[in-house]
Amino acid sequence: MNIRQALKMAVKSISSNKARSFLTMLGVIIGLAAVIILVSYSSGQNLAMKAYYESQGTNVLTVSASDWNSSRDIGQELYDYCQGLDEVVGITPNGQIWNDMTITYGAKTLTRNNRNGMMGAVVVGGGGVMVDGGGQQEDHYPTIYLGNDQFGLCNNYQIAKGREFSYLEIEKMSQVCVLGSDTAEYLFSFSDPIDKTININGRPFRVIGVYESKAAKATLGKDDENSYWIKDSIKRQDRLLLLPSTMTRYFNNNQSIDQYTVKVKTSDGMKEVVTALNGFLPTIVNQYTGYFYVDNPNEWKENQQEADDMQSRFLGGIAAISLLVGGIGIMNIMLVTVTERTREIGIRKAIGAERRSIIIQFLIEAAMICGIGGLFGIAVGYIGTMIITKMSFGLVIMPGSGITIGAFAISVALGIIFGLYPAIKASALQPVEALRAD
Amino acid sequence: MLIDIKDLYKIYNEGKESEVRALDGVSLQIDKGEFVSIIGQSGSGKSTLMNILGCLDIPTYGDYHLDGTDITELTDRQLAHIRNKQIGFIFQGYNLIPALNARENVELPLIYQGLSGEKRRERSEEALERVAMFDRADHKPSEMSGGQQQRVAIARAIATRPPIIMADEPTGALDSKTGRHVLEILHSLHEEGTTVILITHDNGIAATAERIVRLADGKIVADGPREEVGL
Repeated sequence: MNIRQALKMAVKSISSNKARSFLTMLGVIIGLAAVIILVSYSSGQNLAMKAYYESQGTNVLTVSASDWNSSRDIGQELYDYCQGLDEVVGITPNGQIWNDMTITYGAKTLTRNNRNGMMGAVVVGGGGVMVDGGGQQEDHYPTIYLGNDQFGLCNNYQIAKGREFSYLEIEKMSQVCVLGSDTAEYLFSFSDPIDKTININGRPFRVIGVYESKAAKATLGKDDENSYWIKDSIKRQDRLLLLPSTMTRYFNNNQSIDQYTVKVKTSDGMKEVVTALNGFLPTIVNQYTGYFYVDNPNEWKENQQEADDMQSRFLGGIAAISLLVGGIGIMNIMLVTVTERTREIGIRKAIGAERRSIIIQFLIEAAMICGIGGLFGIAVGYIGTMIITKMSFGLVIMPGSGITIGAFAISVALGIIFGLYPAIKASALQPVEALRAD
Repeated sequence: MLIDIKDLYKIYNEGKESEVRALDGVSLQIDKGEFVSIIGQSGSGKSTLMNILGCLDIPTYGDYHLDGTDITELTDRQLAHIRNKQIGFIFQGYNLIPALNARENVELPLIYQGLSGEKRRERSEEALERVAMFDRADHKPSEMSGGQQQRVAIARAIATRPPIIMADEPTGALDSKTGRHVLEILHSLHEEGTTVILITHDNGIAATAERIVRLADGKIVADGPREEVGL
């Protein structure tokens, strides 16, 4: 018997028992939909996480240190100390101006758009990256940072045009600034921003440098809908205006900056530098009137990775169990089918069917039930993924073609694996005994 | 010699208290082109004999040569080929597959032979015409009367053009008129050269055969023309 005949017979058999066939498929549908949703969900999460980490740069420590009762220049002492550490590549204050500013150049003005003001950033918290789904009108208002000559180095920005601050410009509180690529493009369109003067709340600042775009460099695979929203979150990092850290005196009521970013040479050196800083900081910060904290993102990145892996394994386990349950359902129903059709098997054998033909017939029937169930499962999985990813972190990660083809292959394989025993059982029946069945 | 069996035994639960000797040392030879009726009362072993002759069952002991081939030494696969090519079965209960229509039922053994769709169609139509069931080709067994189903079963048996037809109580479930019609078909096949082995408990039907074998308690008690067997 050829495969085409077997397929035709399987279609006949399945369609003559529609309700039962559908109920059998249900196990596969649910199992496969679960696999697709879980795989898409966790791969989406990992993709967002990875892209975010990469844009942040690697081997970066965040140091917070402040002492309200001290007259010492903690920033300067920290800077000097870090310069002496072999493993440290650079250190920069990492202050921000939180007050709303008005930035102008010629006719172009940048002010905070209140509606989008709180949503314009990637929020990291609770172990997940939440990316704003967006859809709102684009807000070009930049994050205004206060940093030094090593800001770009420490925060993974590369100079595209001009230069970084010089040490003297920081010291002298020069009215200079460096722009993120998006901010430069918004204010200057196609003209060269270098040595042009912009106004910040009426105070003139000369543009001395422009950073390269992080979004343009982000590696997110092919430029499909999956990566669009993540890319958007990285694009927000290109909305930047960097002022000398000493400018905090003008814009932040002379509050000193208490956040620093330290760039370390190697990931192995991270722990060493953390230990050194934890030894040094108590000597410049009074524990009763101040505080300090050294945050090693590598550590929680590792924890995050571990948690992600664990979650993937856990979800994979659940998916595998649901597929197993679906498979057992298939086997059960195929065994019932064999019992019900014992006489038919006897007839087929009496008129010349070989064991092989009987096995092929039942295997194809099981594989077809599972295959059809698989197609439904993939459809349900797609819809489920859309709903769940949209609900959970606002972006839709659609299952790739690999997952889809793989899921279909799994479902057909499921039919073959769990249909094998009933098929062999059917083929082993003695014709005379099978013919006696009712 | 087409069929040659010697000292054939079929014993169930051998050596136990419940031992049953369905066939108890049967020897029988049938030549090509014969029309043989095997008769006997219920439990005499005639169906067991047909199952073994038709390669649906294997004997406990004894020799069986079909057209010179020792059947007891064949594999499952070789037996399936013999059932497919050498023998056409007609059963009392018709044994059609309910999900398939008449044509598909008739085509089934041809599918196992690996014939092309066109060839199958040609052969199945020919067989259905032969039993005057061509106009019901697209009907399912549930849409046909018993006599019609049996005619389709005959069409299935002859579609492969086998040299042997084995019919186990083919008229048992039919009224006498339809039964006669079925018998006529078997006789016309015999006239064309097919060997027909007919199993029946009905002496009247058995008497239409040129040779009658009578079984009782698993043994052949008479074998010969009608007069010799005492019908």
